[in-house]
Formats: sequence, structure tokens, C-alpha cells
Amino acid sequence: MSLTAWMRPLRLPFAMTRAWANQPLAIKGLVVVALPLAVLIGALSSLYLASQAEAQAEDDVRLAFAIQRDIYQVHALLAEAASGVRGYLLTEQERFLTPYYKAEAELPNTLTRLDESIVDAEVRARFNKVMALTGRKRDGLSGLLEIADAAGSSAEDQRAIIAALEANKLVLDDLRTEIDQIQVLETALLESRRARVDEVRQGYLALTAISAAVGLLGSLAAVYLFSTGIVRRVQMLEANAERLAQGEPLEPLPEDRDEVGRLAIRLERASALLRAREQALRDGEERFRLVVEGVQDYGIFALDPQGHVASWNAGAERIKGWRAEEVMGEHFSQFYPEETRSFLPQAILERASLVGAAEDEGWRLRKDGARFWANVVVTALFNEAGELRGFAKVTRDMTERKRSEEALRVAREEAIAASLAKSEFLSRTSHELRTPMSAILGFAQVLELDQGDLAERHRIAIDQILKSGRHLLSLIDDLLDISSIEAGGAEINGEEINLVELVREADQLAAAIFAPTALAFEVDLPDEAVNVIGDRRRINQVLLNILSNAAKYNREGKIVRLTCTVAGPTARIEVMDDGPGIAQADVPRLFTPFDRLGLQRVKGLEGTGLGLALSKRLIESMGGEIGFRNRTVPDRGAVFWFTLPLAPRSHV
Amino acid sequence: MFEAPPEVSPMNEPRDIITADDLRSRRILIIDDEEANVLLLKTLLEREGYSDLLCHTNPGEALEAFVQHEPHLVLLDLMMPDIDGYQLLEAFRRQTRPGAFRPVLVLTADTNIGARRRALALGAKDFVSKPFDIVEVALRIANLLETQILYERLMSRP
Repeated sequence: MSLTAWMRPLRLPFAMTRAWANQPLAIKGLVVVALPLAVLIGALSSLYLASQAEAQAEDDVRLAFAIQRDIYQVHALLAEAASGVRGYLLTEQERFLTPYYKAEAELPNTLTRLDESIVDAEVRARFNKVMALTGRKRDGLSGLLEIADAAGSSAEDQRAIIAALEANKLVLDDLRTEIDQIQVLETALLESRRARVDEVRQGYLALTAISAAVGLLGSLAAVYLFSTGIVRRVQMLEANAERLAQGEPLEPLPEDRDEVGRLAIRLERASALLRAREQALRDGEERFRLVVEGVQDYGIFALDPQGHVASWNAGAERIKGWRAEEVMGEHFSQFYPEETRSFLPQAILERASLVGAAEDEGWRLRKDGARFWANVVVTALFNEAGELRGFAKVTRDMTERKRSEEALRVAREEAIAASLAKSEFLSRTSHELRTPMSAILGFAQVLELDQGDLAERHRIAIDQILKSGRHLLSLIDDLLDISSIEAGGAEINGEEINLVELVREADQLAAAIFAPTALAFEVDLPDEAVNVIGDRRRINQVLLNILSNAAKYNREGKIVRLTCTVAGPTARIEVMDDGPGIAQADVPRLFTPFDRLGLQRVKGLEGTGLGLALSKRLIESMGGEIGFRNRTVPDRGAVFWFTLPLAPRSHV
Repeated sequence: MFEAPPEVSPMNEPRDIITADDLRSRRILIIDDEEANVLLLKTLLEREGYSDLLCHTNPGEALEAFVQHEPHLVLLDLMMPDIDGYQLLEAFRRQTRPGAFRPVLVLTADTNIGARRRALALGAKDFVSKPFDIVEVALRIANLLETQILYERLMSRP
């Protein structure tokens, strides 16, 4: 911010700044390096050009001097040659002619050199006159010499010579005048050239100074541009990166197209993306928080790794009674009753952090101190590095269930107690009934043993006491048996029994049953063992009951037949006779207690009327079935049958 | 259950080593909280000729009698108030001198198989359910006394 503020007064016009800013960094770098370099090169070349121009101007001056010298020489040579010729004419001595010959020898070279050197047009015109005058002079001199050589001392000759001399002198004067003119021209030329040399030197010096100044300014400009174009923007970018890291909004930067600008744009996009994600995350968290907070049936709250409450939902408030602001930061052990508070909370957290989760059921406290039965699941929360970050705790109020379980348990216990009481009652009843029966039957038997001492009517009385007493005893036995089976207190074993063997063993008892009758008893058993699950004594009891019924009621028939078969998972015993059978209407009453189908008045028929009822209960309590059917084909007769479950390995 | 009364009595059969007098002189302790049952057993045994009979309806007194009179046989009921037959069986075992043989015949109206097992496990030598056949009981008593006499003779041999 301060940097930007500081920079603001130095800002270049916008378009220029923009154009500059849009250049790639490579170009910017090149400009920053090349600008001072170009200025330096410019300064150096202007220095070089200045020295070149100066040298050229000095050459021109030197040439002007050379021309002047050569012009003087032409004049000197001609003047000496003229005086030499005059001397020769006067003296006729050859030695005066030396300058003349020298001039004749040198003049062509000098004139040629001059011809080559002269460039100025005016000078060239004068020079051409000089050339002509020189030629006339040389011709005049050579003419003089010819006159002198040909003439004698005649006056005419003398006059001719004087005339030639005068003419020569005039030529020489003209020549001198021309040479002076050239001299003047050349001097002026020299002056002008010297002035030009000075002018050029001054110009280039000024150029060099300007170059240096421009170079300095250019360097400063480059540094400034570098600062505005890169350093400052990179600093702003860095500030933005810092804001991004802090999660603050970014300062808008100009969208320049160079690398820094693109970086700024990318940073902006990253920031936008980050904001969008953050928003999505916040939205998701918000939804999740609303869901969790809204849950009423479950107390859901978070704990920090030490067990302090870090969040609290509506369910927790409902179940525990504390409001969020009351309980945040409190240690969760205060939800535990006194007797478990010292160890259980810590133990649960330890178990959860060890194995991931821990479940517990027990009493917890509400804010008002009331207890509730809670089911608690504590889940340890770890971050990606595997460090424990805290716990999530889900609490359910199970008090109602606990109560109903308790009620159920009590009811069950009461039922068991009632059943036990019933069994106990039956056992007591049995004992209490049997004890007097013991005395009655015992004393009657004593009397019976001593019957020789008694009168006939007493003997009959004793016989009746015994008979009725024994019948009563049977009744008591069967009744108590049925009652105890119904009370679930009967002792019925579930051992593995070979039914074939059991029937064979019962054969003797059966023989005793059928002995007083005219019935034949046949048994049809399979050769192999038929193993069933049941109680040996009870099966025997049922078997003998059915057989004795057959013996008692089949007074018209000749035969009673017992068969044993296996059908599916059961063994089946059938006892059939060839008697009259049972009226179909009476069949449903067969297994009803005390219902003797009106046969009790048949003379000589004994029985309690409980036999089949008891048999039905016994067979059913062993997992079997009992039933009856009338036989019609090939003969009539009654069929009593019962089934028992086969022992597991006997299954085919 | 009880068929025609057999005309058999333990006293009718000749015994080689043990005479009827040997049996009849034995001391028998009868314990039952029911007066009628005690009387029935007393009647039965007197009819058989036994004379040394100790009858008790009070279990505590019966235990005293057991210690004091050292009966040769005990006829014991199980279901009694205060001290029941099982407790008496344990007490008898503690009170019997080493080497002595004092058989107990349990007579009870409890038909439960558990009761039978428990009594036999506690040292009862025989078990009869009430109501019983008096002839059978008389025979069992005679058998137990025979064993008792034989045991005693075996122990007293030089």
C-alpha cells in the first residue's frame, strides 16, 4: 500500500505504462540493458565522427598551405629565371643561365602538382591564367635567349632586346599579380576551412555531451521502468500471495499480459477457485452441522483429545439437559455418576483411541442430577497424519428400553418363579396326597394280610378300600404327571434310544397285558436299529398305555399288531387291532382328559381316563405326534400311532 | 402296581446262618413326622415279630435316639419340618462309629428322581416310594438287616 502510494506521483501516462507493462519480461530486460548500451554506442560514434571530420578539415588546410607554397615557388622560379636571363644578356656569361634551366626543369612538375591539388573553381580560373602567363614568360625568356644568341652588338638588335625585356617584365608583373590574387584566394580559403574545422569540432563535442546526458537519462528511465514494470508489481504480487495464504481477499492488480501480469491473473483465479471451494466446503459443513444439530434422538457431540466438549447438538441438549453454551469446554466426565466418574470416562477414551471406537452402556447424569440409561459410542477422530484430533460421541437415551427390559426380566423371573412355584406346588401336592394314601393303602394291606381273622363282609370292604385307593393313586399320578408336563417341570430326557430294542424289552410287559385276554399280540419290527431322541421311561409309558387300551377295548377281535417304520426324519409306531374301531364322531375327543367316550360304565373297565391325554402330552413334549384312525380295508379296526424324531445320524 | 398279595413272608423261609430270631432281635429306628405312617410301619414290623422298635415323629429326638441307642436299621422319611431327612442322613453318617454299619431305608412320598438320587448319595442304602407295598418293604427290611448282621459278624471275627 505504502509502496503504491509512494510510486503514484511517478506514474507514466496510462497508455505508455500499459504498453510497457504488456511487454514480456525478456523484452523489458533487453530494453533495460540495451538502452544505456545504445546511448553509450551513440556517444562513442559521435566522438569518432568528430575526429574524422576534424582530420578531413586539417587535410584541407594542409593542402591549402601546399598550394600556396607551390604558387610561391612558381613565382620564385620564374623571377630567378628572368633575372638569370637578364644577367646573361648583360654579360653573356653562361653561368647566369643556371636559374633559368632550373626553372625549366622544375616548373612542369610543380604546375602538374598544382593542377592536381586545386579544387576551388575561382582558384582554378586564376591558376589557368597563371599557367598561360607562365607559358608566355617561358616563351619570352627562350625568345630573348634566341635574340641574344642571333644578334650582335647592333643597335637594332639592342633595341629588340630591350623591347623583349620590357615585354617579359610585363608578363612577369601580370604573373605576379595573378599569383598574388591566387594567394589572396587561397588564404581566404584556408581561413574558411579553419573555421569549418572549429565548427565541426564544436558540433561533435555538443553531440557527445548530449549523448552522455541522454544516456544518463535513459539509464534512469530504464531503472524506473524496471522498478514500475517488475519490482513493484512483483512486490504487489507477493503481497497478494500473502493475502491468499491468510485467506484475505486479493488487491486487484492491472491485468497486464506479461509473465508477472499472467501470474497475477493466475493468482486471482487460484484465489477465486479457493474461495469457491471454501464456500462449497462451508456449505457442506453448514448442511452437515445443521443435520447434526437438528438430530433430536441422538446426543451427538465432539470432544477434544482431552475430553472437553467441543460441540453439542439438540439431541444432546434434550437427553442431557445442558445447553450448548453451558457445557462447551467442560470435561465430559461430569455426565458420569459419582461411582464411575473417576475411571470410566478415561477408560472409554483410551479404548476408543486404541481401537478406533468404544461402546458402553450404563447410567449417566442429566443436568438436574437425574439418571438415565445411555448407550454411548465414542469414535476417535484422527487427522491424515494419524494424530488424535478428538472424539465423536453419540449418546442414546435407552432408559425406556432399559425399563422395558427390566420389566421383561422381572416378568420372566416372575414367570419362572411362578412355574417353579407351580412345580413346587405339584411336588408338594403329590407328597401331601401320597402320604395319607400311604397310610390308607398300607393299613388296608395289613388288614388284607390278616383277612383270615375277618368276616366276609369285612374282606369285601377291605378289597374295595384297596381297589379304590389304588385307582385314586393312579389318578393322582396321572393328574400330577399331566400338570407337571404342562407346567414345564416334568423330567423328560432327550437321549438317543433304539426304538426297536425298546419295543422288544417291553414285550414281556405287553405279554402280561394280553395274558388275561384272548388276543394275539404280534410285533413287526425292522431288522436294523431305529434310533430316536426321547425319554425311555416315557416312551414305555405311552406304549404300554396304548397296548393296554387295545387289550381293554378290543373285546371282539382276535389280534393286536404293532409295527415300527421310518418315514423321513421320524420313526413311527402303529398299534392296530381288529376290533370295532371308534365312532368317527368320538375321535376328536379321544385325547381329552377324563373323556372315556361313555365306556366307563362298561363292566370291568378300569382306567383313569387320563392315559391318552397324558400320552399326547408326553409324545408332544418329546417332539413327536400322536393320533388315531379307523381301519376299513381290508378289515375294520382301530389304529393308534405315534411318531418320534430320529436321532440326527439315523437320517437317511 | 400292587398285584395279588403273595403269601410270602421273610420269616417263612429257612435261613442257614441267620435265624428269624437274629432278625427279630435287631433294633429298628422309625422316623416319620406323620403319626399314621409311623404307626403303619410299627404295626407291620410288630406283625413280622420285631420287638426292639424306636418310633419318633420328631427328627431332633430321633437323632438323639440314633446316637444313644445305636439302632441296627433306620426307616427314614425325607420330608419333615425343621430337620429334614437329608440333614438326618448327614448327621447319621457323622455319628456312626468307624467300622459300624447302620443301614438307612428311605421311605418317602417324594417320587422325584432327584430326591431318590440325593438320598442314596447321602448314604441311604435303599429307597421306597410311598404308598408302598408292605410286603415288599418287609422283605427289604429283612434283607438290609441280614447284610447288617453279616457285616457285624465279619467285623467281629478274630
